[in-house]
Amino acid sequence: MAYSDKVVDHFNNPRNMGSFKKDEEGVGTGMVGAPECGDVMKLQIKVQNDTIVDAKFKTFGCGSAIASSSLATEWLKGKTIDEAQKIKNTDIVQELNLPPVKIHCSVLAEDAIKAALADYQKKADGALIDAK
Amino acid sequence: MDHQHTHNSNPRDLQMARSMCWHCQSEMSGEYFCDRCVKVQPVSKELDYFTCLGIPRRLTIDQRQLESKFYELSRAFHPDFYQNKSADEQTISLGNSALLNSAYRTLRDPIERAEYLLDLEAGSVKQIRNSPPADLFEEILELQDTLNEYRAAGPASETESTLRAKLQSERNTLEQRQQDMEAALQQLFVQWDALQDRGEATSQARAERDRILKEMREHLSNRTYVKNIVSDLVSTIG
Repeated sequence: MAYSDKVVDHFNNPRNMGSFKKDEEGVGTGMVGAPECGDVMKLQIKVQNDTIVDAKFKTFGCGSAIASSSLATEWLKGKTIDEAQKIKNTDIVQELNLPPVKIHCSVLAEDAIKAALADYQKKADGALIDAK
Repeated sequence: MDHQHTHNSNPRDLQMARSMCWHCQSEMSGEYFCDRCVKVQPVSKELDYFTCLGIPRRLTIDQRQLESKFYELSRAFHPDFYQNKSADEQTISLGNSALLNSAYRTLRDPIERAEYLLDLEAGSVKQIRNSPPADLFEEILELQDTLNEYRAAGPASETESTLRAKLQSERNTLEQRQQDMEAALQQLFVQWDALQDRGEATSQARAERDRILKEMREHLSNRTYVKNIVSDLVSTIG
C-alpha cells in the first residue's frame, strides 16, 4: 500500500510542528493515544476572542497519524471554537485519501481536536470562576 | 458464561456450524465427520479460541496441552489431507484450519491471549477507555524530540555523544519499566485465574473482575506505547 501524495507531503513537511506552554493563557491541550498501535498525539490550540489564532502538534506514530494531525492544525487556524467542533475524521480521510486500515489515525486526530477544545473550555470556565 | 456447555452425550469438543451433514443430510453424530458419508463438517464460526482449542478461559495455560490439541485438530482438518477430495470438502477443511490456526497463534502468546480475553470479556477494547496517561505521553514526545536532535547531530560530534549517553540512560529506564509492567500483568493474570477458579457470583466478585480487566487494559496499552518508543530508541542508537 502506498501513501497518497498529500500524506507524503505532510509527512515530509509537517505544518505547525511544536508546542505551546500548557499553562499559557488561551492554550488548550489535547493528548490522545491509540492503544492498538501505540501512536501518541498532542495537539494544542491558542485561542483569542473565540477564534483559534494558532495551532501546534507533536505526533509519535506512523505517517498517516503525522499527516492527520498536521492537516488538523492547518484547518484549525482561523476557525472559531464552534467551527472547530465540527471537524470530522471523515473530512480528514477524504482530504488525505486514507485507506481503510489508516482510518483510526484520522479518528485519533479528531479525538485530539476534541480534547484540546475541551481543555481550553475547562481552562476558560475556570478563569471565569476565578474572576468572579 | 456457561452457555457453550451443551448437555448431550456428544463426543465432540467443538461446536459444529449445523446439526445435519451438509452432504447427506443425516443427523450429525460423528465427531467432525459425518457417520454415514464420512464427509468433513464445518465447525461453528462462533467458536471462541479457548473453546476451539479445548482450554479453559484462563491466562496461565498449559502450553503443551495447547500444542497437542492444536496438532490433534490439525490432523483432522489440514488441507493437505483433502487434496483428492471434493471442492466442498476442501473449502470446509480450509475454513476449519484457518480458525484453528488463528486460535493457536493468538493463544500461544501471553500478551495476545490477554488482549483476546479482554475482547471477549469486555466487548471491544474501546469500551474500557481509560484516561490517557498524560505523563507517559509527554515523556514519549520529549524523547522523540531528543531522538530527532540526535539524528540531526553530526556524526562523532560532541552533541552526538552527549545525546547518545542521555538516550542510553532513557532506554535503560524504559526497559526497566517494561519489565515492571510485564510483572504487573503477570500478577493480574494470576488474579484473574484465581477469581475464575473460585467462580463466585457475588457483587464483590464482579467488582474484582472489573478492576482486574481495567488494570489489565491499562497495562497492556501502556506497554504498547513504551514498546514502540523503545524499539525506536534501539533502532536509532543501536
